[in-house]
Amino acid sequence: MKTVVEAKGLVKQFADKLVVEGINLEIHRGECFGILGPNGAGKTTTMKMMYCSSLVSSGELYVLGLNVKKNHREIKARIGVIPQEDGLDVDFTAKENLLIYSSYYNIDKQVAARRVDELLRLVRLEEDKDKFIHELSGGMRRRLAIARGMINQPELLFLDEPTAGLDPQARVWIWEFLRKIKAEMGTLIITTHYMEEAEQLCDRIALMDHGKVLSVGTPKELIAKYIGKEVVEFECSQKDLNYYLNRLRELGYKYQVIGRMVNIYILPEQEGKKVFDLISSPRMTIRRPTLNDVFLSLAGQYLHEEFM
Amino acid sequence: MKNRIRSSIADSLTSISRIWARNFFLFKRAWLVSAFWIVLEPLFILGALGYGLGSYVTTINGRPYVDFFFPALLCNSSMFVAFFVSTYDNFSKLTYQRTYLTQILTPIEPNEIVLGEILWGATKGTMSAIGVSIIAMFFGLVDPVTILPAFLVIFISSAVFAALGMIVTTMVHNYEQIIYPSSGIIIPMSLFCGTFFPVESLPIGIKQAIYLLPLTHSVSAVRSLLLNGFEWTVLLHSLILIILLVVLTRIAIRRLAGKLLN
Repeated sequence: MKTVVEAKGLVKQFADKLVVEGINLEIHRGECFGILGPNGAGKTTTMKMMYCSSLVSSGELYVLGLNVKKNHREIKARIGVIPQEDGLDVDFTAKENLLIYSSYYNIDKQVAARRVDELLRLVRLEEDKDKFIHELSGGMRRRLAIARGMINQPELLFLDEPTAGLDPQARVWIWEFLRKIKAEMGTLIITTHYMEEAEQLCDRIALMDHGKVLSVGTPKELIAKYIGKEVVEFECSQKDLNYYLNRLRELGYKYQVIGRMVNIYILPEQEGKKVFDLISSPRMTIRRPTLNDVFLSLAGQYLHEEFM
Repeated sequence: MKNRIRSSIADSLTSISRIWARNFFLFKRAWLVSAFWIVLEPLFILGALGYGLGSYVTTINGRPYVDFFFPALLCNSSMFVAFFVSTYDNFSKLTYQRTYLTQILTPIEPNEIVLGEILWGATKGTMSAIGVSIIAMFFGLVDPVTILPAFLVIFISSAVFAALGMIVTTMVHNYEQIIYPSSGIIIPMSLFCGTFFPVESLPIGIKQAIYLLPLTHSVSAVRSLLLNGFEWTVLLHSLILIILLVVLTRIAIRRLAGKLLN
């Protein structure tokens, strides 16, 4: 079976608010799939419906070929979830946390004991296994939460903002670790608002904003489709802005204004250097486009308003 | 189909036992603290009221006051234990500790969390009654055989208060608000439900209203069992407690499921 998650017209409606507005998604076995978007885009809610912690308001959602509305217990037995707020049991030590969690899956005690030791080694918490949760650093806690999510040897691992709030070192370690477990274990689904994280980890990405999926594709595809080959970035004063924007429009360039910065997206058939003749700004650079640009260009209107 | 239902019941029972076992694991580590609270405290009350005050009252319905009071003490302390475990402890699990939100990521379902927690509250409430009884045995207050069926009633009664506590847990917004049901319902029950004096001495109207409260039935049943042996009214009181338990549990399940699966 190639598809591990399939959403059709998926809607989440809270009492007074539509959070997910009829999205369609197909996630394949063996890929790292990223759901990317700003805070409040509906990523976490979408993912929660997939791991059966939030009820589907309407539409269809299948995980591992099973209907989330009917087969939640079976789905939950076969997936692993690492929520953003780890919910580690503060009454117990690191090792006890894993053992207790394994009992929730009804894993045989001896098997669990072996697996717990193995996981503690894998996430490098062997030395700290007898510490209570409040004695662990943020990075250690996240590693423990990841180990906990893997206790039932899941076919599919959900990670909600896996590196939010971590220092750069801890973040890099987790990225490396996730790449490793993806190769061994299979499918990862992550939400993130860090574009860099998405580019580092994800094979395919769904860009979400305001409860809608704006686009789905590989990072390269998305960049090629929405941005082009390079980006020219310059800063200019308010009085020059209109003049430059008119000229850019005349010459058929795509651009985005963010505060006092202007991003010009250079399409494959266009010449980036020509822009340099047009504009005189002391702060002008040409660079390779990133997912950030894709996101700004797709969700630009809204971000524009926010930053002004 | 039949097999599927059977296996899903087996799955549920497993999950319920896991919720219970998590609490028991924690209890084992800190049992001395629990023992202080659930056993020593009621013994102080027994000393002060049963013997201290009791020596002035001498008899109620022809019995020494301490005999009259002791069954109520067991019901009272098990009620307090079950209710407070189910509110203060479980409110943390629902909110700050996110224990329940994490447990539902596993095959465990919200209704199984509620059932496991009620079972745990009932267990701890009964433990209190057993602890107090063991010590009271040395004072000749308890006959080790006749008290066994009373523990069953106390278990059901504790479950009722654990279920009530679970509902409270889903309704309050902070620890302070737990004062409303504890000072408004639990404490008055512990004073008026035939605990310190017979219900019959209350004025008409209030007397009838007192029978709407669950503790009245727990105390009546346990007192009958300890003082007179088995009577049919014990079954009636137990049946009322069981009906209450079913109703309160269903409400608690609906409320917690609504909180966890939003």
